[in-house]
Amino acid sequence: MPEHAHKVFADSRGSNLYQHDVDYKTKHVSVLLPECSSAPSHLDSVLNNFSSFYLIRKLPVYELLDRHFLETAVYHGAVFGLSYRTRIDEDTCVALMPNGHLTLSLDKDSFEILGFEGKPSRFKHRTATRFVVSVDLTDSSMAPGRRSYLRLLTGLKSRLQLQTDFLLSHHPGGGASLQPLLSRCDWSQHRPEVNCSVLTDLSCPAPRSCDPHNLLMGYDIIAAVSFLSSFVCPEPNTIHRHALSVSVSGMLLPHDIHRLLQELRRYVEQPRLASWVSMTVRGFADSPVSWSNHEHGFLRGGENFYTLMMFHDHTYQLHLATGAHDVCPP
Amino acid sequence: MAVFMDLNVSFLPDRSDLRSVVETAAHLGFSTIALNYVFEPTAKKKQEIPTPTPIDELIDQLPVVQGRSRPIRVLNRLTVVMSDASHFRPNAPEYRRFDLLAVQPTSEKLFHAACMVYDIDIICVPMTEKLPFFFKRAPINGAIDRGVVFEVSYSAAIRDSTMRRYTIANAVSLMESCKGKSVILSSAAQKALELRGPYDVTNLALLFGLSDGDAKEAVSSTCRAALLHAETRRTASGIIYTTRSQQEAPQGSVDGRFKSGYLYRCYRCLCSVAIELRWNKVMMSESNTS
Repeated sequence: MPEHAHKVFADSRGSNLYQHDVDYKTKHVSVLLPECSSAPSHLDSVLNNFSSFYLIRKLPVYELLDRHFLETAVYHGAVFGLSYRTRIDEDTCVALMPNGHLTLSLDKDSFEILGFEGKPSRFKHRTATRFVVSVDLTDSSMAPGRRSYLRLLTGLKSRLQLQTDFLLSHHPGGGASLQPLLSRCDWSQHRPEVNCSVLTDLSCPAPRSCDPHNLLMGYDIIAAVSFLSSFVCPEPNTIHRHALSVSVSGMLLPHDIHRLLQELRRYVEQPRLASWVSMTVRGFADSPVSWSNHEHGFLRGGENFYTLMMFHDHTYQLHLATGAHDVCPP
Repeated sequence: MAVFMDLNVSFLPDRSDLRSVVETAAHLGFSTIALNYVFEPTAKKKQEIPTPTPIDELIDQLPVVQGRSRPIRVLNRLTVVMSDASHFRPNAPEYRRFDLLAVQPTSEKLFHAACMVYDIDIICVPMTEKLPFFFKRAPINGAIDRGVVFEVSYSAAIRDSTMRRYTIANAVSLMESCKGKSVILSSAAQKALELRGPYDVTNLALLFGLSDGDAKEAVSSTCRAALLHAETRRTASGIIYTTRSQQEAPQGSVDGRFKSGYLYRCYRCLCSVAIELRWNKVMMSESNTS
């Protein structure tokens, strides 16, 4: 069953809002603004200025170990990458984190062919059928020319010959340091897609007055509102005449989400009809890593998302949900 | 985990129906399916084992599996419905044309023989009728040790409510004896509508008494194990495989020339051993091509 963690914070400045362990692999953010029928201009501009990302078709994974690419991009701690259209429970998945960690989630045959050190996945049933190879590219043992580096490079180049579609992004924006890599591959640039919809007569649970158990159901509802689900709302509830649901999907970077969060805080602090806003951030279901570099798996659902509810009086509530094959963050 | 497989999709003689079934399976997320040719010998007249049609003659371009970038893989499988011990002929050459070999026993004695003795990959458990025998732990454990898997098919449950009861009852009884090990779930679909997605099949397996992990394995890792077992069975313990070839004898041969024979290639030393069978005499000639 999916696990849920629910925390309530009251912080006058809200400055530690973003000190939770960040999930770098964000696929979808949706914002629910009750009693609002059109997005305010500041929010609109933030939503439309999310960084673009690149989709590379059939990237040979050994290119991520290219010396020039490492020196210009990876060592500066600014590259985010994830394999696209690969399933974590069927195929090989690759993730590149901004802290220089390259994670490969391999099935048994691929792992044995690759011939590099790795650990069996912690989500194993009777025998280990999935293995995780995690290397820190910024470590001195993985410097170009060293034994481990050459071993991994040979493994990916001649033994395993792994090729996947790859999503790549760079922060700060612009792919000047990615250009040499991109020029060798078939790539296309994409912007995150923004969708707005106005919902009418939405019944939402009144966040303050519910007991925690009902509140969990309430969060599921709020998190699912962007998909217009038809759950029954727990009591007590309030009916909102209008609500605006905005969703952004694509490969989203943490700093963009942070900016959105700041903007939402500014929005909710002003006196308004409704006293709360909520933001739901969903990660990729097929990413090999999840919260704070913990391993992520997919049993019957790969959900890993959190919902943040911000109130007028500078307090906020955080609700985290993970799937069965996930490590719940502390 | 391995890719999702459905190892029992009924072979349909009509090409467009077959094509729609294969496309549905690819759309649902199955990376490998096996077309099942059923052979039910009767005492009345001698029947021939069907010959599998090569897949490229049936479908021009295999559809790509949804969410991945590879086309679906289609294999051939033979199921022999046995009501007598003579119906299954061990080492029959016709069985070599199929990738997978399955047997459906109809009595306890045949079930015991299938688990312990017969050189097969899959044992089908009947789902459309009340089980004629009870499962015993000993033959089931024997089969698990040999690498033979038990198959539960769910499309009968979709078609009819009485069959649904039999399916669940038979499957639960099997799970109690085998404790969820070495079980595969497949559709036995006769049309595209009877196929279900791999996660739905996993949920269905929970009804049969499998745990979460076992249920997912039943659609992925255990199917992969059955395929590897089939490959090993066909290659004489995984060392030698045979291909039929018509060619001149290699140098150093005893006879000089042979009209037709089997060319054996040894995996270990990559030498080819040409064996000619003539007048019940085996003449062997060896050539080292490595």
